[in-house]
Amino acid sequence: MTPHHHVRRRVTAALCGTFVAGCIATATQSPHASAYAAEPGARAHAAHVLSATDTAHLHYVSSSGSLLFDEGKATGTLPGSMRVHLDLGTTFTGTFTIYASGGSIEGRGSATPHGSGTYESFSGTLTVTGGSGRYAHAHGHGGLYGTFDRDNYALVIKTTGSLSY
Amino acid sequence: MASVGRALRVALGTLATVFLCLYPATTAGATQSATLGASFTPYRLGAPTTVGLSLQIQAPAGQIPSALTEVEVRYPQNLGWALSGLGLAVCSPATLEAAGASGCPANSIMGGGNALAELRFGPQLVSESASISIARAPDEEGHIALLLYASGPSPVNTQILSPAQLLPAGPPFGGRLNMQLPIVPSVPGAADVAIVSLRVTLGPLGLTYYEQTEGNTLAYTPKGILLPTTCPRGGFPFAATFSFLDGSHPAARTIVPCPDLRGRRHRGRH
Repeated sequence: MTPHHHVRRRVTAALCGTFVAGCIATATQSPHASAYAAEPGARAHAAHVLSATDTAHLHYVSSSGSLLFDEGKATGTLPGSMRVHLDLGTTFTGTFTIYASGGSIEGRGSATPHGSGTYESFSGTLTVTGGSGRYAHAHGHGGLYGTFDRDNYALVIKTTGSLSY
Repeated sequence: MASVGRALRVALGTLATVFLCLYPATTAGATQSATLGASFTPYRLGAPTTVGLSLQIQAPAGQIPSALTEVEVRYPQNLGWALSGLGLAVCSPATLEAAGASGCPANSIMGGGNALAELRFGPQLVSESASISIARAPDEEGHIALLLYASGPSPVNTQILSPAQLLPAGPPFGGRLNMQLPIVPSVPGAADVAIVSLRVTLGPLGLTYYEQTEGNTLAYTPKGILLPTTCPRGGFPFAATFSFLDGSHPAARTIVPCPDLRGRRHRGRH
């Protein structure tokens, strides 16, 4: 993760994220900068804009009904640990927290499962909604895809996108 | 399916019966009602279970219902289908039609059940039962797809294949099981065969799966549909909508009451 651009009075930060895992990657000026600049909340904080691709390997912690709680390591632009709470319904929806150096990043996502077998793939989108520490004002959008191990409930989540913080 | 239909009509020319599906054209003006039952076996919050669904269709006395063409059962939120370990393989419609459920991978079978159908044969109402196997099918348009394969061996050897899907549903439901039911003609001039009872289970009850471990094949029972650790207020709601060939769409609801936690705690102390 290499923040590289400060946009005066604009947030163009970009993040990318891991559904529940970390995200972000190479800092590049976001093509969405002007869009973010229109957001009052974003204007309040100068931001870093990152685009990234990350991968999180999560293991089972607990479950209740269709709700699954996994956590594990995230590697890539925003390395750290990740916790995910998922509702594995006809679509997968959930929230995530990424604990990275200097703070945490929170968000939500949804994905559509595909196929069958022990490993069920899924793809969807994520939204970064906030965080703490240096990521207290994090926001961004991204795509996510991965696999769900129906045997041990482990998740592998890959994310791409942009993050502002 | 066409060959099944032909075989059925021929057989019904002399005998009676049939297995799945629905309706006697001679019951014009008859209206049917429907009821829905649901169960969890075993029923322990936080534990895996098998979901049972029971659909009953009643027609006025002496008549048989219209042909059932579609059933949609909405099930409660927070049932762990994805965590069930069921349907790890898929079975194609072609395989089911050619070889029946026994031709499918064991790990594709997600449940079973039985159906009771009625057919008017002259002045008599004749019944036939059929066993049902439910297999995981290749996804359709991004949705989990199932196949219901019904086989009634006697007195008429009949096989019917019905597609089904797990689709999204709004609160308080977590999804809906949509089943499309083919119309099964009976003898010429008579009404189509009418389903009057359909009981299915989705879950590990009676299922055996297999896995390869270090060159060995191990049999095991899949985990089952995980129940939440808490019971929703008022119990687990189920609802069904039935579509009949005569254009009627009766609905039914039921609730699986919350378990008696006092009894549960009591048992837990011993």
